[in-house]
Amino acid sequence: MSDSRSSAVHEVELPTHETAMQRFTKNISREERFFLVVAVFIGIFSGLGVVCFRLFIDWTKIWLLGPMPQAGDWRLLVAPSAVGLLVTLLVIYVFPQVRGSGVNQTKAALYIYNGYIPFRTAVGKFITAALAIGSGQSLGPEDPSLQIGASLASALGRRLQLSRERLRLLAPVGAAAGLAAAFNAPISAVLFVIEEVIGRWSAGILGSVVLSAVSSVVVVRWFLGSEPLFRIPAVGLVQPTELIAYAMLGIVGGVAASLFAKAVAFLRPRLRALPRWTQYLQISAAGVLIGLIGYLGTPQVMGAGYEYMDQAMHDQFTWKMLAILAGLKIVATTLSFVSGTPGGMFAPTLFVGAMLGGAVGGVERIFYPNLTGSTATYALVGMGVLFAGFLRAPMTSVFMVLEVSGNYSIILPVIVANTFAYVISRSVQPTPIFDMLTRQDGLDLPSMEEQREESILRVEDAMQVPNAPVLEAAETVQQVYQRIQQSEADVFLVRLQPTGWTCVSRDVLKQMNGEGKGELTLISSLPTERLPYLHPDLPLEMALRYVYQSELVPVVSRADFRKLEGVISRDAVLNKYRVVSRTESE
Amino acid sequence: MVFAVLSLIAVAGFAGVTRLTNRYGEQQKALARRMYARGLNDQKDGHPDRSIEDFRSALGYDRDNFQYQLSLARALRDTGRTREAEAYLVNLWERSPQDGFVNLALGRLASRQGQVEKAIQYYHNAAYGVWPSNAEVNRRNAEFELIDFLLRRGAHAQAEAELLALCATLPADADLRTHVAQLFAQLGKYERALALFDAALRLNPTLPEALAGAGNAAFQLARYRAAEKYLKHAVSANPSDAGSKDLLQTSSLILQMDPFVRHLRSSERIRRLRAAFDTAGKRLNICLTGADADSPQGSSLLSLKSNWIQMKTRLSHMTNAEGDTSDAAMDLISEIEQQVQLQCGAGGPSDRALLLLAKARQGADQ
Repeated sequence: MSDSRSSAVHEVELPTHETAMQRFTKNISREERFFLVVAVFIGIFSGLGVVCFRLFIDWTKIWLLGPMPQAGDWRLLVAPSAVGLLVTLLVIYVFPQVRGSGVNQTKAALYIYNGYIPFRTAVGKFITAALAIGSGQSLGPEDPSLQIGASLASALGRRLQLSRERLRLLAPVGAAAGLAAAFNAPISAVLFVIEEVIGRWSAGILGSVVLSAVSSVVVVRWFLGSEPLFRIPAVGLVQPTELIAYAMLGIVGGVAASLFAKAVAFLRPRLRALPRWTQYLQISAAGVLIGLIGYLGTPQVMGAGYEYMDQAMHDQFTWKMLAILAGLKIVATTLSFVSGTPGGMFAPTLFVGAMLGGAVGGVERIFYPNLTGSTATYALVGMGVLFAGFLRAPMTSVFMVLEVSGNYSIILPVIVANTFAYVISRSVQPTPIFDMLTRQDGLDLPSMEEQREESILRVEDAMQVPNAPVLEAAETVQQVYQRIQQSEADVFLVRLQPTGWTCVSRDVLKQMNGEGKGELTLISSLPTERLPYLHPDLPLEMALRYVYQSELVPVVSRADFRKLEGVISRDAVLNKYRVVSRTESE
Repeated sequence: MVFAVLSLIAVAGFAGVTRLTNRYGEQQKALARRMYARGLNDQKDGHPDRSIEDFRSALGYDRDNFQYQLSLARALRDTGRTREAEAYLVNLWERSPQDGFVNLALGRLASRQGQVEKAIQYYHNAAYGVWPSNAEVNRRNAEFELIDFLLRRGAHAQAEAELLALCATLPADADLRTHVAQLFAQLGKYERALALFDAALRLNPTLPEALAGAGNAAFQLARYRAAEKYLKHAVSANPSDAGSKDLLQTSSLILQMDPFVRHLRSSERIRRLRAAFDTAGKRLNICLTGADADSPQGSSLLSLKSNWIQMKTRLSHMTNAEGDTSDAAMDLISEIEQQVQLQCGAGGPSDRALLLLAKARQGADQ
């Protein structure tokens, strides 16, 4: 950390007649401003694209399955398998990039392909996912919307000839817009992109991501209305002990999420390893099985299933039926997903969560009739639970439930249940689902969860207690020369007035004393070059920038820059890294 | 320039998507209407389960439609799926807490579930709520339902309070007044009931229900002369009204048997007293033949028989009906009829008339 930066901390600028907007525009570069406006356009285009996508899915569904799919209808058997064949051909011969959900593809674009996602991917994802979901495959439109948004953003960025760095950032900007439009939930979309795609809070991109998400949601609300996805009465947590009931739901949900993830992890590579000709039949075969589930009595598991989640929240199913639906949805979604059908995991995850939540709530009410939570409450909390446990996005899961219900009163149960689900899921299935999928695809994309949990080495881990006296700038050369006689150190830190640090070696002091400069103060006789300094909580990698410039770097308190907490040297830093790497390899 | 082009593309996109969403919205609404109509037909044809599925599908295409949600909730409630119905109704109530339809449906649901407080609250909300049409009638019907519910629950004091509140807003309608009067009669508030029946008869003097109700109320109030008058009209207005006929017969009998009716000549008063005394004696004799003389009941009947014999002598010498003997005789008749009814069951019309006369005398004495 340079001294000029530290002085900037202390020198408060006097207010001027400049407006806030003037200061803002002055502080951001022309390119940044351009990028922010582009983000708004990305949001608008993504919003328009997602609205069309949703319409296309609904039309396909009505056309293929009829307006009111009923068990025993032959269309439930035929549509998913027949359309599955068409989707297979499109995926193999026309749009090879559109398999799967789209989240990992967007991450890959960010980390491997410099933000490049072909426009053809957006078109392919739009068509194939709509056909698959509309024909009854158990997948959702959210992750494809995310990829469509990212693809549109990438195409726009290339057309505008943005720099490689900006182009790379456009993928998450578009992804946030697509997801926000699909969920009608801007906060969740921004959080998900930060939690899962970017993996860090970056001020540089946050503004663009937020702007694109908000503008896409405005577009979607313009066309499809602003009502939340689910509407439930306000939840009154009468007794705090009721949180135990929600914690139970978190535990059950965590186990279910782990089983779901394990099923996908187990079957996906095995299906991929089958002979190539089977690839032509896998999506269709999954369609047959899912169609059979629907035909035999549970058409609710087909498609995204939002209308049935709504019904579950309105108490339209018994707890037994809810449990059956949750189990069958896991089976159906696993079949759809591992067969490589284009479509997302968000909606099925929410479906399983809603049904499981309702079922657990129903069972709990049998034993404890005084529980005040309605089925809707449990279903909503269940959604968050599966989201946290299966998709492993804990923060997004909380905000997602708040946004899709527009109900803040549910926050406590959601936090409690999600925490349990997340912890259980992590212990049963250490690798998050998206990371596992990328590894199965042979890619090594950064795992956001692993990054979050990586222990960071800090300056305080390598700093040492100073073994030499600290010299004051006002002292004379003679005084300090006498003082250092008792020390064995070769280099000494000097505290400057009013603030700042420098250093001086024993040899220099000896030389000055010998040259008759003993009466001079250190400040008048030493060169004015100041040392950089660090704080104990800074990452150790920051120290690497400075330890090569100076033999000793002071580590000072954040509250008082003249107070020395320790010193850090090149050897100490390298030693620390050596010890840590040795421990990790052991 | 770049932004101008992008703006143009966005505008074109908005125009295109607007057309698409309009078409989509129309299609969704049409599908919803179709499903809803099918549901109504199924309901009419007596297929409630199918109608529920249709209403659900309609909601799938127009999920915020108030009417569809209300119809689904009603269909669910009518098929006994109260919990499922409640979920939709509560949802509707959250959206529109003043809505009369929703509150009434919730009131009915709560009354079915036996949740008294909730039912009262929702019925009240319905009675004071917002109704899109026929507000006055709907509000009154909600109040009637509440009173009916309270009467069924035995909450008579609350029901009376509601009825009194309802009276304050009753229009000049003979049927309505008759209905309210009947409810008062159900509560045993015959004075109020009679006043309301009278008010109804002033509006429609030939209304059979009001005539029968007034007759009954007057009868209960021991105003047998008035009862006879109302009941005669009631029977002539509705000859198939067996209840009124029966009451009329009893009223007439009482009036014929009552020795204390005003303006009777003394000889007639004595004749009536002796006839009543003989009727009671006969009943006592019949009851005694089947009774065990050693049982406490039998001995009390024997004691009454002994009193009856003594009184018989006194009555045979009686020349003036205004003395203490007539009161003592009437007291004995009452005592005999009550005891005999307790031990040998109800007697004939004359015995019933005597019992009512005895009650009326006791009431008058008190």
